[in-house]
Amino acid sequence: MGTATKALYFLLHPNQLRSIIQWKVWHEPVHRRDPSKETETEKSCFHFLNLTSRSFSAVIQELNPELLMPVCLFYLVLRGLDTIEDDMTLDNKVKEPLLRNFHETMEQDGWTFNGNGPNEKDRELLVHFDDIIVELKNVKKPYYEIIKKITKEMGNGMADYALNTELEANGVQTIEEYELYCHYVAGLVGEGLTRLFVESNLANPQLLVRMDLTESMGQFLQKVNIIRDIHEDWVDKRRWWPKEIWSKYVDNWDDMFDPKHREKALQCSSEMVLNALKHAEECLFYMAGIRDQSVFNFVAIPQSMAIASLELVFRNPAIFERNVKITKGDACQLMTESTQNLRVVCEVFKRYARRIHKKNDPRDPNFLAISAACGKIEQFIESIFPTQDPKQIKAAKEAEVQPTMDSLEAFYLICSAVSVLLLLGGAMVCIAWYFGAQVDQVFKNMDIKTTASAIPSIVHEEL
Amino acid sequence: MASEKKPALGSAMVIGGCGFLGHHVVRLLLRDYTCSSISVIDLRCTRNRRPESDGVKYFEADITDASKLETIFKEAKPDVVIHVASPAAQSNDSISHALFKKVNVDGTAAVIKACQATGVKALVYTSSASVMSDNRSDLINADERWPVVRGKDQSEYYSETKAAAEELVLQANRAPEAPKLLTCAIRPSGIMGEGDTMVLYHMINIYRQGRTGVQVGDNNNLFDFTYVENVAHGHLLAARALLLTHASSTVPLDHERVDGEAFLITNDQPVYFWDFARAVWAAAGSPLGTDHVKVLPRSLGMGLGFLSEIFFAIIRKPPTFNRQRIIYSCMTRYYDIGKAKKRLGYRPLVSLDEGVRRSVKWTLEQEEKNKVAAAAK
Repeated sequence: MGTATKALYFLLHPNQLRSIIQWKVWHEPVHRRDPSKETETEKSCFHFLNLTSRSFSAVIQELNPELLMPVCLFYLVLRGLDTIEDDMTLDNKVKEPLLRNFHETMEQDGWTFNGNGPNEKDRELLVHFDDIIVELKNVKKPYYEIIKKITKEMGNGMADYALNTELEANGVQTIEEYELYCHYVAGLVGEGLTRLFVESNLANPQLLVRMDLTESMGQFLQKVNIIRDIHEDWVDKRRWWPKEIWSKYVDNWDDMFDPKHREKALQCSSEMVLNALKHAEECLFYMAGIRDQSVFNFVAIPQSMAIASLELVFRNPAIFERNVKITKGDACQLMTESTQNLRVVCEVFKRYARRIHKKNDPRDPNFLAISAACGKIEQFIESIFPTQDPKQIKAAKEAEVQPTMDSLEAFYLICSAVSVLLLLGGAMVCIAWYFGAQVDQVFKNMDIKTTASAIPSIVHEEL
Repeated sequence: MASEKKPALGSAMVIGGCGFLGHHVVRLLLRDYTCSSISVIDLRCTRNRRPESDGVKYFEADITDASKLETIFKEAKPDVVIHVASPAAQSNDSISHALFKKVNVDGTAAVIKACQATGVKALVYTSSASVMSDNRSDLINADERWPVVRGKDQSEYYSETKAAAEELVLQANRAPEAPKLLTCAIRPSGIMGEGDTMVLYHMINIYRQGRTGVQVGDNNNLFDFTYVENVAHGHLLAARALLLTHASSTVPLDHERVDGEAFLITNDQPVYFWDFARAVWAAAGSPLGTDHVKVLPRSLGMGLGFLSEIFFAIIRKPPTFNRQRIIYSCMTRYYDIGKAKKRLGYRPLVSLDEGVRRSVKWTLEQEEKNKVAAAAK
């Protein structure tokens, strides 16, 4: 966008500008790095963090000092693995041992790698990986072990996928495969992070017992990315949408992008959204287990962005034509809201669940299931922050029994006002009726009359 | 369930077993349980009757006839009684009030007496989630701790009688008259399914008459509808739990107790009120989305409802359209069924989605049959 178009855009969308300013001006990080006290290799690590990550670098750098370096290094190690896996110029014979042994390679002083293709965007990270290795040696032992364990599992998972030529050629088949893929690329990272949070005493140890909550965190983020990036991946000849889902709507994957099949493609995307939505409650539950504000911000921001992106892609035909993403203003508002507390994040989830519900189309075969999924999110939020308290309801009922003089007076006042209205209104209707107005037809022809006439029987529990 | 051994329920009796919910209870008894015998009491036993080969014994009786009831109990010798009989809560005049009182309260009292007199082990009563509603206020994720609304606070007499009967049933648990009789109550919300001639019938009519284009309120109000098979399933889980308690020598801990307790049963899938209606219309063949829908604010609906009430009061006819209907369509009313999940191990067997599809299909087939029958005449 040019400056002029930008100015015009913000003129027409002042709220977007407001959100951006609010975030930029008022956001106060819980913790701030202190570069004056950092070593050269530490500085180098943050340099590569900024270079390789847009969305995570800021939140990582605001983390509690206890976890600042471990999480930063964890991210860089995984990014290193990713850079090897992504590089299509690397021969599988080179790639496989690199991936499988990365957890040991990262312990060799001075190890660097410059075998990446020239267009690999993060190749610089591996070229200077010796700096990261120096810092990894300084990480506390328990944290280091967690990083190493996950690196090993992730490297092996990636190697399996890289060697899976069938997957390469045909894409993901079943929902099970799809979720397994999401586990390798996001669930495992989540597992490592949860272990780091609990080890540092910044999260409730119960999260280790309920690892399924961590898994949901990763699945939710990854699934939203996969839905959103459908067009980009299609152009790159990659497909992560499972055939088990899309084959219900189109015969060939390419049909998804053919405007002729647009409605079918949208219905297919609805099922993908529905499949992702099922993780939302567990994500909120997970966040309830975080004890440190900086860690909360770190986990909540991506989740809020994910639910907002999910709303954006839901029944949005644009996803089949280009890359869609939430506006900068919305992103800033979400970041502001995600750096407060669980209650505010729940409000964000509820807001977007209702927006999804509003976009829902009865002709979509997933209509009622999506309505129920949105309802479930609202219900879950009610279970942690209840609106109603049965004790208060009981107390209020008992208090009602004895109306005071004041309320009695008010009651009579209202009664007299209502009866005057009734008399006047009634008289008018009678006069009109006398002069031949077919007043009863008014109600007979009213659409809502009969629509609403079904309601009592729905509400009653007749047997 | 077919491969596993089906749980035993001894001699089971379903009161109201030819009705909408009752015949599904009988169906599930045959499908999911082993019973030494199954008997049904209903006012008339012609509709929803199982084929002879299923071996269900049918007894025609009015449940308010206590002595007849006891004779049948002595013959059928039930271990477990599932009492689902209740008149449809359709009208709200003095004649139906008398009927509600007679069947729901007096009939239930007679059933309890017969159970106590003939050594029945377990009684499961079908109450209603509406006993917790005052038909004005929202119920947001309400559970069994919420108070039962009685007396002048309860504007629907039907719900008042269901609550009174529920109270009788729960008081009969381990009561001095028969200390071995265990009882509990099931409170379902918004039952729909095959055999339902009310909820879906009305909704499909609205679609037929092309009146799907108005929505009252913002449609952010969640509501619990429950597929009938899930409700029947909840009843039988409760019956099974009561029998197990009956067989054990110790009284269960408070947080595990089923006897003397009420349980909310839903599909555990609250949906937005008008979404449910639209799902029914879509299943019935509606090709419309939501573009044609006009939203009528709740306040305007209330105003129109009020005018309608005044008008009908003047012409001395019962209003066909009133404020209560607007309130219902804008009310949030959904429940937390954690108690039934924990203590009964209840999980809905059929999703709401699938339940709607099946029920609408049945309703449409029924219409076809009626048309054919009418043409044959």
